[in-house]
Amino acid sequence: MLDFGLIQAHTLYLAQDATATAEASGGIDFYTFANQLLNGIGIVGVLLLTGLGLAITFGVMRIINLAHGEFIMLGAYVTFLMQSAFQMDLLLTIPFAFLGTALVGAVTELTVIRRLYGRPLETLLATWGLSIVIQGVVKLIFSAQLKYVKSPPYISGNLLLMTRQDGTPLVSISYYRLFIIAIALLMLGITLYLLYKTPLGRQVRAVAQNRDMAKCLGVNTSLIDLLTFAYGCGLAGIAGAVISSLKSVSPPMGQDYLVDAWMVVVTGGVDKLIGVLAGSFLIGESNAAIAYILNDPVARVMVLAAVIVLIRYRPEGLFTVQKRA
Amino acid sequence: MTQVLDGVQRSTFPVKLFITAGIVFLIFFILPFLVGVFQTALISKLLLFGALAISLDLVWGFTGILSFAHGVFFTLGGYAMAYYLKLNLSSTNNNYGVELPDFMVWNGLEQLPWFIAPLKFFPIAILAMVLVPAVFAYIIGWFIFRSKVSGVYITIITLAISSALTTLFISQQAYTGGTNGITDVAVLTLLGIEITDINLYWVILIFTTLVLAGSLWLTRSNLGLILRSINENERRISYLGYDVASFKIFIWTLSAAIAGIAGGLFVPLNRFISPVYLAVAFGTQVVIWVAIGGRGTLFGPLIAALLLGQVQNYAERVTQDWQLIVGILLLVVVLFLPKGLMGLVPRINPDRLLMPSPNPSAGYVQARLLDWFTPLQGAFRTVQEWLIRGKRRH
Repeated sequence: MLDFGLIQAHTLYLAQDATATAEASGGIDFYTFANQLLNGIGIVGVLLLTGLGLAITFGVMRIINLAHGEFIMLGAYVTFLMQSAFQMDLLLTIPFAFLGTALVGAVTELTVIRRLYGRPLETLLATWGLSIVIQGVVKLIFSAQLKYVKSPPYISGNLLLMTRQDGTPLVSISYYRLFIIAIALLMLGITLYLLYKTPLGRQVRAVAQNRDMAKCLGVNTSLIDLLTFAYGCGLAGIAGAVISSLKSVSPPMGQDYLVDAWMVVVTGGVDKLIGVLAGSFLIGESNAAIAYILNDPVARVMVLAAVIVLIRYRPEGLFTVQKRA
Repeated sequence: MTQVLDGVQRSTFPVKLFITAGIVFLIFFILPFLVGVFQTALISKLLLFGALAISLDLVWGFTGILSFAHGVFFTLGGYAMAYYLKLNLSSTNNNYGVELPDFMVWNGLEQLPWFIAPLKFFPIAILAMVLVPAVFAYIIGWFIFRSKVSGVYITIITLAISSALTTLFISQQAYTGGTNGITDVAVLTLLGIEITDINLYWVILIFTTLVLAGSLWLTRSNLGLILRSINENERRISYLGYDVASFKIFIWTLSAAIAGIAGGLFVPLNRFISPVYLAVAFGTQVVIWVAIGGRGTLFGPLIAALLLGQVQNYAERVTQDWQLIVGILLLVVVLFLPKGLMGLVPRINPDRLLMPSPNPSAGYVQARLLDWFTPLQGAFRTVQEWLIRGKRRH
């Protein structure tokens, strides 16, 4: 009677995940384990890309954006559209994905977030409602069918790190995963540059440290909020564009990344952006390692349990310098 | 003196409310005779969802803990009951003529896992139905509420729990029945009597009424006052010497236990339980009932669950995009109607019947009254002092 159409598609997607790792199980041997850890590098890249945007909006504006996953999904759809309409290369669609989602993010900030400022639970709920609406609208426009995006031919294939004497690969990593981590690190670098080396970044940091004081000193805080939120959403869009060819594109695809990105932000803390890098490395690699020894769903539960314990003892995240209040 | 007290008691005893509640209860009681079998089953289900919504309202509306995991507690209770019913399926009714549930046979299990086997016995199943969600909630609550993080963390953790457990339950096919969950369960029998749908309806009706009445009593007690103060200003209430975390953990655990019982009652009615109810979408549904009904009203979430469930039942035959409509509804409620639909109908708000209403105009009148009394108090004190001085003179 209750039809959870969306969630059924979602669970299907999860089930694919589960079978993917099930076949990898077997005896523990060094090479497969090394491969798994290198695959983990790819996960780290995805986590870093998705967590970065969240960390910025949470760190500066103290708002929880539960629609972040949907912005990732929007970025993926922008890439899909660009590719199907203009046969564009995936790399070229990245700026469009950034701009498109940043635009939607700006509209969201103006219409929803701004009205609920200072009420974190309400913001959280509103963004959750927004995520349902975005999913619904995308489903209306593109239908719930899975869409596929082609990855560019020049970054397909694997980088062989160790081979047997006859040339069969033992340890390898796909170029695409290297590409993801490169993009993620690049975005981290650009964000760090913007935050610490530009006047605008200084204003953003001022707002993050003390909003009222920044306002008194003439910082246009509402403009900073708008730009920060749009930038965070834009980063989610880039993540979506890059992820799109890794898996299929579908309306509920973002939900999973949302939870994982939050785990990263909670682990790393939002005080320093390097925390996001460390957090995604920790979560991505421990996920990959546990998934190798046991299986993927168990790994998810164990990482979650670890994060819950972490919140008890290091609520500000692992990589935050202790401050005196 | 006693006359005065009698009068006070009579005036504060909400006669009208009790009469109304009695009539509503009676209407619901005879409802199965008025509507068809299908509607009876639907309303039983919605009453359970209503109880679930009330349990969420206790933690969210009163204490300010927003949770997407109430579907998880509900489902955990449900699985406890489903194992009991599945294990008590006579071996002739079982597809494979063995004691082992069919999904375990399919997945190559030779014997019952030790952690499922005790659920064959009714008292243990009933205990598990309450305790598994409650203990689970207690553990999470102990870690989160004892920490110094803000309230939004618990919401994200509940989201993560919901999504992680969904994956886990789907992947552990041999133990949980995977995506299909536990289906084809036995009919619930108590003391050798088969519980028919109509009897089940009454059991559910009584359960929901008890949950509603208990929650009303709880939130109007001193405990309820403390919970509401935690929601209003957590720091201040902790400065007053209350251990905020303990209160939060208590209400969180209690709420999970209620959700678990609701889930346990859901299984004999629905005849199956599956990870659909674990998933974030169902948790969101519960949140939406509470948001739309009105947080902190208890009646609102129950009514919203009943009405939205009915609407949904018909809407889903017409449109595929019920979720989209729900999302829009949620956005509108959050942005423009923070008190939910109960905020629109203050006249039948039962809060007013039971306790002084918290609306600002009442406070204004009280303030005016106090202002008016202040000079009188001064005069009174002068008279008192004058009298005391007079006594000393003697």
